[in-house]
Amino acid sequence: MKKYYITLIFGIIALNLQAQIDRTQMPKPGPAPQINLQEPQRFELKNGLKVLVVENHKLPRVSIQLLIDNPPILEGNKAGVSSLEASLLGNGSKTIPKDDFNEEVDFLGARISFGSQSAFASSLSKYFPRILELMADAAINPNFTEVEFDKEKQKLLTALKAQEKDVSAISSRVQSALAYGTSHPYGEFTTEETVNNVSLSDVVQFYEDYFVPANAYLVVIGDVEFDNVQKLVEEYFTPWIKAVPPSFQFSKPSNAQYTQINFVDVPNAVQSEVSLESLVDLTMKNDDYLHALMANRILGGGAQARLFLNLREDKAYTYGSYSSIGNDKYAPATFRATAQVRNMVTDSTVVEILKELDKIIKEPVTDDELKDAKAKYVGNFVLALERPETIARYALNIETEDLPKDYYKTYLERINAITKEDVQKAAQKYMTIDKARVVVTGKGSEVIENLEKITFNDKRVPVKYYDKYAKGSKKPDYEASVPDGLTAQNVLEKYIEAVGGKDKLMGVESYSMIAEAEMQGMKLNMEVKKTSKDQFMQDVKVMGNSMSKQVVDGNKGYMVMQGQRKDLGEEELKKAKEESAPFPELNLLNTDVVLEGIEVIDGKKAYEVKISNEKTSFYDIETGLKVQDIVSIEAQGQQMNTTLLYSDYQEVSGIKFPFLLKRTMGPQTFEFIVKEIRVNEGVSDVDFE
Amino acid sequence: MNLKPLYAILTFLTMSAMNAQEVPYEEYDLDNGLHVILHQDNKAPVVTTSVMYHVGAKDENPEKTGFAHFFEHLLFEGTKNIERGEWFKIVSSNGGQNNANTTQDRTYYYEVFPSNNLELGLWLESERLMHPIINKIGVDTQSEVVQEERRMRYDNAPYGRWREQMFISLFKKHPYRWQTIGSLEHLASASLDDFKEFNKKYYVPNNAVLVVAGDIDIDTTKKMIMDYFGPIPKGEDIQRSTFIEDPITSTIKTKYHDSNIQIPAILMGYRTPAQTERDAYVLDMISTYLSDGKSSKLYKKLVDEKKKALQVFAFNGSQEDYGAYVVGALPVGETSLNDIKTEIDAEIVKLQSEPITEKDYQKLQNKFENLFVNSNSSVSGIANSLARYYMLYDDTSLINNEIDIYRTITREEITVVANKYLKPSQRVELEYLPQEATEN
Repeated sequence: MKKYYITLIFGIIALNLQAQIDRTQMPKPGPAPQINLQEPQRFELKNGLKVLVVENHKLPRVSIQLLIDNPPILEGNKAGVSSLEASLLGNGSKTIPKDDFNEEVDFLGARISFGSQSAFASSLSKYFPRILELMADAAINPNFTEVEFDKEKQKLLTALKAQEKDVSAISSRVQSALAYGTSHPYGEFTTEETVNNVSLSDVVQFYEDYFVPANAYLVVIGDVEFDNVQKLVEEYFTPWIKAVPPSFQFSKPSNAQYTQINFVDVPNAVQSEVSLESLVDLTMKNDDYLHALMANRILGGGAQARLFLNLREDKAYTYGSYSSIGNDKYAPATFRATAQVRNMVTDSTVVEILKELDKIIKEPVTDDELKDAKAKYVGNFVLALERPETIARYALNIETEDLPKDYYKTYLERINAITKEDVQKAAQKYMTIDKARVVVTGKGSEVIENLEKITFNDKRVPVKYYDKYAKGSKKPDYEASVPDGLTAQNVLEKYIEAVGGKDKLMGVESYSMIAEAEMQGMKLNMEVKKTSKDQFMQDVKVMGNSMSKQVVDGNKGYMVMQGQRKDLGEEELKKAKEESAPFPELNLLNTDVVLEGIEVIDGKKAYEVKISNEKTSFYDIETGLKVQDIVSIEAQGQQMNTTLLYSDYQEVSGIKFPFLLKRTMGPQTFEFIVKEIRVNEGVSDVDFE
Repeated sequence: MNLKPLYAILTFLTMSAMNAQEVPYEEYDLDNGLHVILHQDNKAPVVTTSVMYHVGAKDENPEKTGFAHFFEHLLFEGTKNIERGEWFKIVSSNGGQNNANTTQDRTYYYEVFPSNNLELGLWLESERLMHPIINKIGVDTQSEVVQEERRMRYDNAPYGRWREQMFISLFKKHPYRWQTIGSLEHLASASLDDFKEFNKKYYVPNNAVLVVAGDIDIDTTKKMIMDYFGPIPKGEDIQRSTFIEDPITSTIKTKYHDSNIQIPAILMGYRTPAQTERDAYVLDMISTYLSDGKSSKLYKKLVDEKKKALQVFAFNGSQEDYGAYVVGALPVGETSLNDIKTEIDAEIVKLQSEPITEKDYQKLQNKFENLFVNSNSSVSGIANSLARYYMLYDDTSLINNEIDIYRTITREEITVVANKYLKPSQRVELEYLPQEATEN
């Protein structure tokens, strides 16, 4: 009996001991979770529309996605037609006016949106039938009107204008154009000219050609019954007329013959965009697709990757540096490694990116790198499964990328099986150190000299020059020589002559100007008044509220910035008075301004004249007109440059004034369009109080 | 033959069937007082582990504000078994994500992992509760971070202090009068012992709820919870004070100058009842009706039609003890703040004198149903709701029933509540202005 008890007690203790956890050790993960990928249900309409339905009744909601998987389309000299078509879709239908359409969608608490070859809608499942009907109606019977077309065209033109000097926009345009060539759908780009070539009938034609059901998929996800979806989709989408989009062949682009730097000069750039790129023949179907993703992840796939650790954490050149590798079944995709860096370290960045690329090709990755990269892939894959959209996306990929049926079922297995050798092989196959293009977009005068000195693996890396639209150009000439004997005075005289002559300018006692700019949809109004009596007033208003105002009246002056008024000090007043003259150049004729040299401004040569320590002006060599001022100011303890570009000179009272003023400060550019200039009228002393 | 009525009845039936959305859950207490809520959903192999502590800014000593939010940072610094700086690495190298947040009522920490790392998630949270390291280096490091956060979100942000300024006037006795970020001076002058004492008082199992949601097996999970959280000792019972505000009987007018802005704003704030009161739900609907989205009454009138305001905004923050409904606008050009006030008041008076239209009412119902449905769209969202409903509403079942409260609110009730709470004499009028010109 006793014995029995003892065993029992021992048994309990042993059991307890076993149950004790050791919390000093981090728990090990359990066995990899079973992935149960739901299969979507399918059917197809006679017009070719393929429908995938993922029933998920967890929540009473539904999403509907229409996606047309057409081959790439070359828009040519009408580039922009597809984005115009996209913005014109969803504005009601032939039978429902735009306002009624929007109001009904809003009332139902739903949303509907369109792309050029896609559409998306979401709502509570009880409104599914109506939302599906509205979406189908807007897609099949679009309401294209001249009024909306003009509105959208203006918006697109404004957007293009806004990014004219945007270094990132220029950089990405040139990158694609150089990688694919401008006659390839992936290399062409939209310009003001191509947009102006587009008419409403082009949009209609584009819609009729490409918004067709042959390659279309409709994906319905959520709290719906398959039978009901089938019935409704058949009802609403059967009227979509069967058609196949036109298809074209494009010549296959190829990589650069040898590694080179392609430089694009953007004189206003304060940061360089560095992007190493090469083409990759990679589709999701490739056996080593995941290996290539893994190599990219370790090189530059996030904040734990090598590029980030090197260029940001170690060298602090940049806020972030990343790489990406694409896949495409129609054409080569691109591999890119990128960073935005200060001008000073542009060349070092190019070298570091080349080094990292070289390293991942030449040496195997470490065990830890591979382990962490796998964990992140597995984690992301698993966490994404929670969203029913993921199931639909996977099913679509299997269909459109022609993947094996069990592609995602075996995904984790295949991720976990990847070895260091696999990663290196993929890096060798899909990344190239010998035929890469390093597109650098930045301020030439500050970065070219060092870029031209770059050697890598004991070879000089040649630099080729391109303009903002990817056309080959000459190396910008920063040291064009000034003709012998020419002085700053000559330049100023030529300018004065060009705008109307000394007599005319001397006759100006006052002038006033009203100009307008747009910033993120808000109107900016600028009013300037000047007289020859040291009076000056400039007021900039945002949506009617004064943002900054400066007033000088003889020996006193003040400024109001963001509601704070401050009287001008002696120094400030002196400077302001220099600027307050209607034509400051008149007062400079007998001063010791210096002709510094020749610079290229907006593609044209101009004389650079140093007016003061704070101000430099540029005058076109040919026309003599002033094209730019650079004023350096101190703001919050930092030197900052404000650039003012002058163009579109027009005559008012016999004097030429610039009607387009572009003002750039830091990352912001304002384009002021002059609405009105009045000479010797409309200005009185009251304006300077 | 008229089939319509029949059809309508059928639709009605299917509709209500389709609306039956049920988040199943199970709840119980451990001996040490830790409340546990489990929600099993094996559709995807994802699990959320989270702990909500019933401590927020309102539990702070008025002389030592900012502690609860400071702890949100401090409790990532490491534990007896987790070295300093390892927390985030452990989470990411195991394929997970994590974060935390603090309000005036509670603090919330969570991780989302592939479900085979459930044990890891429980270990992390139990370590944090059982024996966090609170030392000088951690306090110093997080002080810097919190200072940056205060600068970024409050001091340098345009309009960053409206909430602070509004709440100072709305609350005279209740700790809602200060913000979660608290006072940097208080934090700077606090001693290590102050922090340790705060931890000992509030970060105890009997003041917390643990939620485990997602791809779990209930029995295994319960055992793991027992293993990791069972040995944590119970803390002392927490004594909470109650603060009753006197009603506001005449308009409180106040001004604040913000150097980060150029365009003034008018804000009108009304004190509202605790979030558990039915009236708070009605006020939610009123807020949405007046100012949520571009089709709301105030936006349409002030921004679209009359073009008097650049922007109209509203904030309806219900909390455990009281709430606040704040409505405001930024004027366009020469429009005066008074003019805006008059326009907003006219809309409120309309609401007080006649019921909203049947169509607007239906639209409101649609909006709330959408919100309700989408609030449960992820397992981590469900985990958060379960914790919140248990801890702050004392009714976990609201996760499935809350929508019913909105459904039973009538158009007439909206009128009654608008009259009860939205009188001009009951509000704070805050003129939020650009810094004035400095005198010379």
